[in-house]
Amino acid sequence: MREKLESYRAYLFLIPGLFFLFLFTYLPIIWSTWLSFNEWNLLSPKPVFSGLENFVKLWQHDVFWLVMKNSFFFVTVSIFPTMFLALVFAILIDERMKGRVYYIYSLFYPTLIPMAAAAMLWVYIYSPNLGILNIFLAKLGLPKLGWLGSSQTSLWALIIMTFWKNLGFFTLIYLAGLQNVNRELYEAAYIDGAGWWRRHFSITFPLVGPTSLFVLVVAIILTFRVFDQIHLMTEGGPGNSSNVIVYYIFENGFKFFDWGRASTLTTILVLILLSLTLIIFGIFGKRITYTAD
Amino acid sequence: MKRKIFWVGALMVLFLFSSTASAKVKLKFFYPVGVAGPLVKVINGMVEKFESENPDIDVEPVYAGNYNQTMQKVQTAVLGGNPPDVAVVEISELFSLLQMDALIPLDSYVEREGGKGFLADFYPGFLGNAYGRDGKIYGFPFQRSTPILYWNRDMFRAAGDKLKAAGLDPSRPPDNWDELVEYSKILTIREGNQTKQYGLIIPGGWNDWIFEAFSRQNGSQLLKEDGLTVTFNSPENLEALKLWVKLMQELQTCPVLRPWNITPDDFIGGVTAMMYYSTGGMAKIRKTAKFDWGAAFQPKRKQYGTPVGGGDFHIFKGIPKENQDAAWTFAKFMTRPDMAAHWSIESGYVAVNKKSYDLPEMKAFLEKFPQMTVARDQLKYAYPKMMAVNYQLIRNAMTTNLDAALEGTKPPEQALEDAHKLMEEAIKGS
Repeated sequence: MREKLESYRAYLFLIPGLFFLFLFTYLPIIWSTWLSFNEWNLLSPKPVFSGLENFVKLWQHDVFWLVMKNSFFFVTVSIFPTMFLALVFAILIDERMKGRVYYIYSLFYPTLIPMAAAAMLWVYIYSPNLGILNIFLAKLGLPKLGWLGSSQTSLWALIIMTFWKNLGFFTLIYLAGLQNVNRELYEAAYIDGAGWWRRHFSITFPLVGPTSLFVLVVAIILTFRVFDQIHLMTEGGPGNSSNVIVYYIFENGFKFFDWGRASTLTTILVLILLSLTLIIFGIFGKRITYTAD
Repeated sequence: MKRKIFWVGALMVLFLFSSTASAKVKLKFFYPVGVAGPLVKVINGMVEKFESENPDIDVEPVYAGNYNQTMQKVQTAVLGGNPPDVAVVEISELFSLLQMDALIPLDSYVEREGGKGFLADFYPGFLGNAYGRDGKIYGFPFQRSTPILYWNRDMFRAAGDKLKAAGLDPSRPPDNWDELVEYSKILTIREGNQTKQYGLIIPGGWNDWIFEAFSRQNGSQLLKEDGLTVTFNSPENLEALKLWVKLMQELQTCPVLRPWNITPDDFIGGVTAMMYYSTGGMAKIRKTAKFDWGAAFQPKRKQYGTPVGGGDFHIFKGIPKENQDAAWTFAKFMTRPDMAAHWSIESGYVAVNKKSYDLPEMKAFLEKFPQMTVARDQLKYAYPKMMAVNYQLIRNAMTTNLDAALEGTKPPEQALEDAHKLMEEAIKGS
């Protein structure tokens, strides 16, 4: 009886939180899913049910496929280097290597400054003739690149900038994850004659598994949602070469005022993220070693 | 007793605040900055002056980003039922705002100021984008421009002998397309595989606007004045695009898609001998360029020609009448002779009010910087900028296809054809 009362009380306390979660998260998801089956744009200012027309039109639209390609490229190219280097830096910082303070500053500084400021900074770094990056390349005798102004390099330029911006954040998470690894294991391995790489390969990497899973999922979601830097640095250009899904949603919704299509894209994004998360947990969730004991 | 005094005091304070709040009209003013340069400060200064002259009106200036971003903010605010009182957006957006039923006509205000006589003070070239299809006036010109050709006199002088050998005059900029190509060839300096100096920059970002100018120079246009008939794939436009592709891909005397806001820095930094850019960026160049530079009409083909550019004031529906009246007072203030002159001197935009040019301080300024008269004089050859419903979609179709052609990933014919189709699709049903 008493236990039952306790659980009622728990639900009671959850109500305010659930209310806002419903209002600002679930309701918009339901609403935008409904809208994706409607035609609603500048020329048809009230939503009109149109079945699957939005989906069919997107399927036939070249830009949609380019945007999907860019998004998946962005995610796959940026995630693994970010994860790997974040872990390596976390280990180095954790082991109190020389010049540690310097590394901590240079890693976390980008994470702390606002994305808008960072984006403007990189616009100048990438400036074709006067930017520091091309001046540096020229000093090395390499050809100058167009960076943001060329469809060959614009997406890469954004990936590099995002990598720089996010590395510190993931390093911090790994640093926290490392604190849960039992130190005695390293000592034992050290006595057994295991080298630095061996120790980390056999002890650290498996034991930060839960952290890695978390980082992987968060990184995928974060990278799928890149927006600010694209809005400020390229506006998706030149010729949609750096356009990714969230910017494309914004473009359709707030630039072209095609709410129907923007909602359709949102539904697609939700489905992609949901299935990716499920797949990742399905594959790795059960195999992960949660404790060392 | 003490408690009673407290409540009476509290009520009095409340009344005091509410009465001052109701006596003052508060205006929300959204505006963009479409060129490189610290223009936010200039606008804030003008707003302060307005408030000191009109103590019963409070203006809250909201810098809303570049032209695209400002239009997005305005559209979202209108759709959310919380429109700004007054806003400046890019002139091609008018039809989209009218489609949303967002604006009030300004005819009654203009009538009260003296009707045609009042409008006669403003350059007619700048009023061409102010009217809706119903013939009513919905926009009032403010930050208005044309693209012009900036040229670095020192670089022309340095290449003097070579230019003379090719039969070109180093003391003047190119006057037609053929000369543009010849000058740009000679003014481009290469060292190994590096280009040390470009002959010319036609920037990206707003290349649709500059392209409209080339189209006009060749006697064509991108979209007819009705906002419905697309002429983007005309043979004249194809010739213009082929010229660009030649400059960027074949001759490589012009870099491909140099970002809009970076281009003035390239000119100031001596990266290029010439650039096409809005006159609105001139203040920055005037203040920071350490060399002798000039400004000129854009070179002609069949004729001189250019669209006008920039942004107009619009007053919104769905706000109290007193706010609309105050917004008009504000727009009128910002465009009266002394303020338009101040804005022009500080930014480089053309003063929309003809009377600005009679003011002694303006005359003194122009004597020192005759480059500032170029855009105004070019108005003789200026046309209204294209306007259509769904302009953002149309502009996107134009820039993505122009970009593809200029990068050499699409043949010019196909780029024009693709953009043409997308534009017709976007306009269909409006």
